[in-house]
Amino acid sequence: MKKLENKILNKIYRIETKKTIRQIISEITLIILIALSSLFIFSVIVEILNEQTSFDLFDFLRDDFEIIRDNFFNNLLLFIQELPLPLIYILIGLLLLLIWLLFTLSKNSNKIKNKIVSLYKFWLK
Amino acid sequence: MLELSDKDIVKKIKNGEIDYYSYIVKKYTTTIYRFIERKLFKKDDVDDLVQNVFISFYKAIEKFDEEKPIKPYLFQIVQNELKMYFRSYKKSLPLDERIISEENKEELKIEDFKSLNIQEKRIFKHISDGYTYEEIAKLFNKPINTIKSIVRRGRLKIKLACASKK
Repeated sequence: MKKLENKILNKIYRIETKKTIRQIISEITLIILIALSSLFIFSVIVEILNEQTSFDLFDFLRDDFEIIRDNFFNNLLLFIQELPLPLIYILIGLLLLLIWLLFTLSKNSNKIKNKIVSLYKFWLK
Repeated sequence: MLELSDKDIVKKIKNGEIDYYSYIVKKYTTTIYRFIERKLFKKDDVDDLVQNVFISFYKAIEKFDEEKPIKPYLFQIVQNELKMYFRSYKKSLPLDERIISEENKEELKIEDFKSLNIQEKRIFKHISDGYTYEEIAKLFNKPINTIKSIVRRGRLKIKLACASKK
């Protein structure tokens, strides 16, 4: 019976090892991919705004407080109008997905840590 | 060894402490082994079935309600495993359409098909026309498994008719 019990546990641990490794790799890969895509889209947006010289709209910030107060909302509105909106929407979507993934990862981190400890104890001790 | 209740063990396993699963395995293996041993004809398969039971339970543990007792759930899995085991060992005619081999084809006569009812005859006609079971199921507006059962029954009838003729 002892032999059978060991056989069962061995199989369980093998299944769990595969599952945990697959889970960790897929989650980390997804997070890296989304982070890199967000960074790329962000750089494209900055590049577009640079080409449009949209950042010049904020030059007034170097002036006096009076001028800033008078022009701030006007210039901000103009700047928003010049933003490449489809890319901004994609970026927001990606960032929300990234936040959700990081949240679930942090929520499950304790569970994953416990699993890794158990697997380590079984296979390496 | 700490005396833990099944509820605590399940909670811990759900929290990732999978080494606690050994408590469950140690606690219930003997009971399940004895139970399955009494039901099976082939003793070699008992180990495999016990293994399958615990693996199935482990896979389902995330959805398992820890407030409920483990034993009935485990025995439910045992029942399902036994059902599957007996089903796989049940003698059945293959559902392959080529059951009537080319050389036997000539020996079959119209009288052999007389034992079939109208529905079976129609289904066999469709099979000989090259329809798949799926297509026939759609045509007859019946589940595919029903069509398979009808075909199996029909084949048995033909086989019996041929045997009685000999």
